Amino acid sequence: MNASRTSAIDVATRWIIFALLIAYTLYNIGPIFWLVLSSLKSRMDLFSMPPKLFFTPDLSGYQSVFGVGSAKDSASAVGVFDSLVNSVIVSVSGTTLAVFFGTLAGYVCSRFNFIGKGDFMFFVLSTRMLPPVAVLVFYHLMFARLGLADTRFGLVLVSIFANVGLATWIMKGFFDGVPKEVEQIAIVNGYTRMYAFTRLVLPMVRGGIAATAGFCFIFAWNEFAFASILTTTQAKTLPVKISAASGATGIEWTQICAAGVVLIVPVLIFFYLIRKHLLMGMTFGVLGRR
Amino acid sequence: MNTRTRLRLMASAAALGATLSVTAAKADTTLTFVWHAGTCADALVDIAKDYPDKSVKIVPALVPYGPQWHDKIASEFAIQGDAFDFAMWDSQSTAEFASHAVKINDIFDKSSYLKADIFPAASLSRYGEYPDGSGEYYGLPANQDAYGLTYRKDLFEDPKEQEAFKSKYGRDLTIPQTYQEAKEIAEFFTRPDQGLYGWAQMGGRDYDFATTASNSFLWSYGGELYNPETFEVKGYLDSPASIDGVKAYVDMFKFGPPGSTNWGFDEVNTAIQQGQVAMAMQWFYFNGSNADPKVSKFADKIGFAVLPGAVGRDGKFRRQFSVGGQGMGINKYSKKLPELTKFMEWYFQPEQQMRYAAVCQTGLKTVLENPEWQGLNSYNRQFSEALAYLNDYWHLPEYPVLLDELQQEISAAAAGTKSVEQALSDAAERNERTLERAGYEIKRGDSTPEVPDQVITPVGQDQVTAIK
Amino acid sequence: MTDHGHTARQAELKRRSSGRLMIFGFLSPTLAILLFMVAYPIFSLVYYSFFNFSALRQTTMKPVGLKNYEFLLTDPALWERFVFTGKFVFICVALQMLIGIFVGYQLQKNFRGRDIVFTLLMMPMMLSPVVVGFLWRYMLNSEWGIVNFLLSSVGLSKIDWLGQTTPALWAAAAADTWMWTPFIILLATAAFRGIPETIYEAAEVDGASPAYRFFRITLPMSAPVLFIALILRLIDSFKQYDLFFALTGGGPGSSTETVSFAVAKTAFSYFYTGEASALAVILLVIIIGLSMILVRHLQKMGEKY
Repeated sequence: MNASRTSAIDVATRWIIFALLIAYTLYNIGPIFWLVLSSLKSRMDLFSMPPKLFFTPDLSGYQSVFGVGSAKDSASAVGVFDSLVNSVIVSVSGTTLAVFFGTLAGYVCSRFNFIGKGDFMFFVLSTRMLPPVAVLVFYHLMFARLGLADTRFGLVLVSIFANVGLATWIMKGFFDGVPKEVEQIAIVNGYTRMYAFTRLVLPMVRGGIAATAGFCFIFAWNEFAFASILTTTQAKTLPVKISAASGATGIEWTQICAAGVVLIVPVLIFFYLIRKHLLMGMTFGVLGRR
Repeated sequence: MNTRTRLRLMASAAALGATLSVTAAKADTTLTFVWHAGTCADALVDIAKDYPDKSVKIVPALVPYGPQWHDKIASEFAIQGDAFDFAMWDSQSTAEFASHAVKINDIFDKSSYLKADIFPAASLSRYGEYPDGSGEYYGLPANQDAYGLTYRKDLFEDPKEQEAFKSKYGRDLTIPQTYQEAKEIAEFFTRPDQGLYGWAQMGGRDYDFATTASNSFLWSYGGELYNPETFEVKGYLDSPASIDGVKAYVDMFKFGPPGSTNWGFDEVNTAIQQGQVAMAMQWFYFNGSNADPKVSKFADKIGFAVLPGAVGRDGKFRRQFSVGGQGMGINKYSKKLPELTKFMEWYFQPEQQMRYAAVCQTGLKTVLENPEWQGLNSYNRQFSEALAYLNDYWHLPEYPVLLDELQQEISAAAAGTKSVEQALSDAAERNERTLERAGYEIKRGDSTPEVPDQVITPVGQDQVTAIK
Repeated sequence: MTDHGHTARQAELKRRSSGRLMIFGFLSPTLAILLFMVAYPIFSLVYYSFFNFSALRQTTMKPVGLKNYEFLLTDPALWERFVFTGKFVFICVALQMLIGIFVGYQLQKNFRGRDIVFTLLMMPMMLSPVVVGFLWRYMLNSEWGIVNFLLSSVGLSKIDWLGQTTPALWAAAAADTWMWTPFIILLATAAFRGIPETIYEAAEVDGASPAYRFFRITLPMSAPVLFIALILRLIDSFKQYDLFFALTGGGPGSSTETVSFAVAKTAFSYFYTGEASALAVILLVIIIGLSMILVRHLQKMGEKY
């Protein structure tokens, strides 16, 4: 009697959970689906009422993003490839360095007690609190004086700056999840701390590193506020380049949607590459889960 | 892959980024310009490809239309940098940017071709003069624009509609010459059950959306934004005539689609292109795409006209609406002024400007007076008429602040969260506070006129004069 | 005996100095780059906040003491903006944490195709914020938007999402939540999966209910990571302004302007560099204050578990 009631509740709970998950998935995927669909619609179809699910695809959005076909001669087509190269270099090196530095700092903050640790942690976090627009003019001035304006190196600096705090904090969180005994045992057995860190602890937080890299890459790849002011022609990144196409004769919805789809692809590839590590869990290897 | 190799990989990737960042080979002279992307920027780049001196390259640094465009120019000026050599900026921004721009008079003095008189005096003043009436110019009228009226020819020319309209209102269905007439026509065509509405206009909070529309009403009813001699805003912006104008503007939303009070130019375009409205207030700039069958379902059924005026409470007729478009200014910190001047001497030749005029609105007199120009498309003739009725915002360096304050109040009035009287009186209060903080001395007069626009500028008469 | 004690002390000293070296070596790159990037802008920010200064009109620079602060803090509009920002932050963070933890908890389980589902669910976060603003503006258009179309096709009345204050608040929160819930999901899933199975197994033996498992094991064990996620979302949603630029432009009136929106406007449209700096300082003080409370809480929690 009692048991059957519990199982009935269990079944109901499971269905409710399932329904909520489906609802969330629709909310999550729906707009993406609509974005992809819209990127293939002509302006006329975009605003047809009722909305069209079937229509003749219009590739002009993608043509204009890549500066090919009918958009070959448009001014906004100039240098799309250069921007892609800029974006890849800036976000890959920015992410790599931010995660590298953040991992080191996160480890120390997780394992050691040192004077000013709390202040350091907070300082690192607080760099993220400032709205970029508030200081952009000062950055512009500083970068122009140092010869960093409109250079990739300057943007790499920005990208590290914007992400290293996030990386430090998230990595600290993951290192906190690794028992301190790991290093203690290693040291007792005569290994150095460095060895324990690189050979034992780091592999255990692979999932955390992957997740952090994923976030940093997303932020670096989509960074807009700094790049739009600090670059003019040479170091223009793809989001800045593509956003310009948004106002030709009215808002170019097709192009914007196509740009959104194109811009998401590198991030998807990145996530695909790190997918194995993303869900590895933090304690792989020692305490063994799956 | 072990950790050490991975770290090494990370480091080398970073080093790669650092080395690749310093590669910028420059053999030729590049002239970089900032403008918002679009058909007009495309036209400039396209024309510049034929510039005879092949060692000079014109490089576009395009930004999206809207705040980023202003911010990009302003930020470069703020650091006194030379990342771009010339730029197109909005007519109202001249005052703000003048101190960082080359004074065009110097170029007029030296150049054998570029002279003030190759442009219509009014256009040169509108896109480059600061302060007003000083004869000092900081921009050339590279791309003119005006507010205009777009209407459904098929509806206006339908005999059945004409008959029904006449029996209801006792007069012929024609293109409205006053906002009072426009209101009746808008009411007549508002048929939500058919998905048809009478009137579309901007009411959005962004940039200058709501006020370009509301100012056109305000000025036509005899109102003013301020008194440029005494810097009084109170008594002008909230004068009875100004209130009449903005009330008429807010009223017109009744004949627009529900939820259209926050519309910007793009939503108005969509309404036109989808045939949802009988009339719309829109920039001439967009007529090209609204008449383009690839974009507009009603491309062949759309007509273009000059915006109506209004008969104010003093019984006088005024027709005044917002000026659009951009002047071409030169960055004072650019190191390439000689090359740039040469390019501009070539670019403003009639041959090049005729090519430009096929797509966008030039400011070169010989082209505007060329009979061929008016026939280039279905709206140039109306545009040439419209040029006489243009009015503009404050020509003060504090323009962006004054605009933003007025935008807030007008958009609140459009959305109905504030009454028109309250909105205008709040706006006047805030505008005066801004002027005072900027150091202007407001000389308060004994009384303020009910209808501030006494001399009727730019154009007005005692009677309604129709434009065909 | 003494000899043994001596070596032990030697080893201890060696370990401590190698620890110090590690602390210094590991922290310095981060510290160096942050200081390099922060020092000049922050100094300028504070310095110019005491001036009537526009970077665009530098000749008019004039020291004004605390006038900028006085002007801002006595302007009722600023407090309205703070209230609006607070509402927005609260709605966003609450929804994102709830949904994120819930979905993350379900996704930690192994099932076929999970990697694909997981990667797909991350997509909103990957999208360029510029595009997100436009996409939601398009979907929420009162006339031609898909949202109102769906509402009216199930018989509900259309909503003027972007033209009225309250619907616009929820619209923006929906867009922000859509974009950033995956952030929480990803962190939460990774944290949940890091909890050793043995702990659950021990609880199982004691006959713990699923609710007990979740509230007594999963949540506390993953609290450090979840708390960091919360703080990061709090900071970022507090800074949100480009979404409002895209969706409402701040209107009607100034009713959907966040504080950061005002900073952006003052700094760039107005180019009132001094006033914008003062506003940014006020904003910073408030965010720093809030975060300090939270971080202290976090540290206490860290001590507990």
